Amino acid sequence: MYIPDPISKLIDGFMRLPGIGPKTAQRLSFYVLSMEEEDVMELAKALVRAKRDLQRCEECSNITDQKRCRVCGDKGRDRSVICVVQDPRDVIAMERTKEYHGLYHVLHGAISPMEGIGPDELSIPDLLKRLEDETVQELILATNPNIEGEATAMYLQRLIKPFGIKVTRIAHGLPVGGDLEYADEVTLTKAMEGRREL
Amino acid sequence: MQVEELELSQFRNIDRLALNCPESLHLFVGPNAQGKTNILESLYVLALGKSHRTRKDKELIRWGADAAQIKARVSGEFGNHRLDIRLTPRGKKVVKNGLEQRRLSSYIGTLTAVLFAPEDLTIVKGSPQVRRRFIDMELGQVSPSYIHDLTRYNQLLLQRNQLLKDMGNRRERINAFLDVLDEQMIDLSTSLWKKRVTFIKQLTQWAQDIHTSITQAKETLTIDYQSAVPTQGVTDEAGYRMAIEKELLRLREQELRRGTTLTGPHRDDLRLFANDVDIHTFGSQGQQRTAALSLKLAEIELIHQETGTYPILLLDDVLSELDDSRKTHLLEAIRGKVQTFVTATGLEGIDQETCDRARIYRVQQGSITEQG
Repeated sequence: MYIPDPISKLIDGFMRLPGIGPKTAQRLSFYVLSMEEEDVMELAKALVRAKRDLQRCEECSNITDQKRCRVCGDKGRDRSVICVVQDPRDVIAMERTKEYHGLYHVLHGAISPMEGIGPDELSIPDLLKRLEDETVQELILATNPNIEGEATAMYLQRLIKPFGIKVTRIAHGLPVGGDLEYADEVTLTKAMEGRREL
Repeated sequence: MQVEELELSQFRNIDRLALNCPESLHLFVGPNAQGKTNILESLYVLALGKSHRTRKDKELIRWGADAAQIKARVSGEFGNHRLDIRLTPRGKKVVKNGLEQRRLSSYIGTLTAVLFAPEDLTIVKGSPQVRRRFIDMELGQVSPSYIHDLTRYNQLLLQRNQLLKDMGNRRERINAFLDVLDEQMIDLSTSLWKKRVTFIKQLTQWAQDIHTSITQAKETLTIDYQSAVPTQGVTDEAGYRMAIEKELLRLREQELRRGTTLTGPHRDDLRLFANDVDIHTFGSQGQQRTAALSLKLAEIELIHQETGTYPILLLDDVLSELDDSRKTHLLEAIRGKVQTFVTATGLEGIDQETCDRARIYRVQQGSITEQG
């Protein structure tokens, strides 16, 4: 069937996004046709701006629209602690807690030889540079608890040892507010291993 | 554990099947390619949530149908359960007692099953891979944490091999990262080794008794877990840790050259001996089959010991592969305690007494008729 070029281009564009197949792409595309021109312009501009105006924070490598991100620029934050995460989305999750007042460092991934990601592909050199500053006293490693995330955490720990900075790893175990009986065996085993004295 | 009722619809070449099966022995007879194994497969899927013949659930759905269903009522020491598995091209749904189970792990274990197919006779003479697969499958049924560790280990192995390959080409300072992967590998290997050795020890106890009685005390079976890591004199986890650490260090240069991991649980093996003679190399075909049969029967006892209830046994075309004395032994060992489903091309070679107490069905082109 013939589909006019502009719409087939639009469909192809949507299909490049994760989680969107041909049918969803088609539905979205035709929906765009029915939108007000003003709204379509807004969307198009937002897409371009997100790509063009965003850059990595010169300090923590998180994505930002300024040279320095809001967290790094905030005078009220505790500069002696840095929480290392894999992804900008992890910062958002951490910030939602409103309990952490230190700084961040975003690695943009985990070390994975299979995906061709070595230590230099991540923002690890930038992290080491930050540690030369004497103010940093603790590094919290909050990479994911899978094989790659654990390996990255262990690698960082070895790398940072000579700096004489305290290095900690976030705990894993039972989700708060959940019932013990619904936890799977592996999580429960991990939670038992990581138990603490009260 | 016993399957009381089984209902299939649109499963493989079976349109519809309703089986009332309170008895303990069921015999499905018919020529090849009529659907006998499909019935056993459906019971296997019912127990483990996946097939032993294919990874694609889609293949289980009858040609041209939208969905397949396996329904059963099972009874056992821990009460009655209704199990229901629906397979669609989009995925499967497992339902236990009318409640959908979101995770397969909360479903598996309700019904346990041991399958004995012709390829299992190659456990002894086949490649080490076959024996490792045997350990992984059986240990997985009783230990979820084993599956978890094994999955992580396999993932780690892929990463480590890639790193070794990369480093071989362009030596870099990622030596520090290889050290990290080694540390992870030591942890996981130790845990897998410990679980496997314990499992084999338990299995050996059962297998020995069974083997002695099949061979009328003429032979004694011993099973040795052979680690790729030199583990002479190693008795505990701390000892194994030290051994693998040393071995990894010793092999480091060689691994970099070859670009792959040369030691670890993925290279371990089992060795079976009859009266101290290695059955894999020197055993006769009969000895190999006796050992394979002993392992399978031991597995049944081990599941009973670990879970408190006997599994169901699925014998796919193996009776014809065993000689009379082994056959008699197998049937005696399971008699009265293990519900068994058997397929065979004919009744020849199955003794009259067994036929008398079995329910016999003729299978033809996916339809099943009971024989009076």
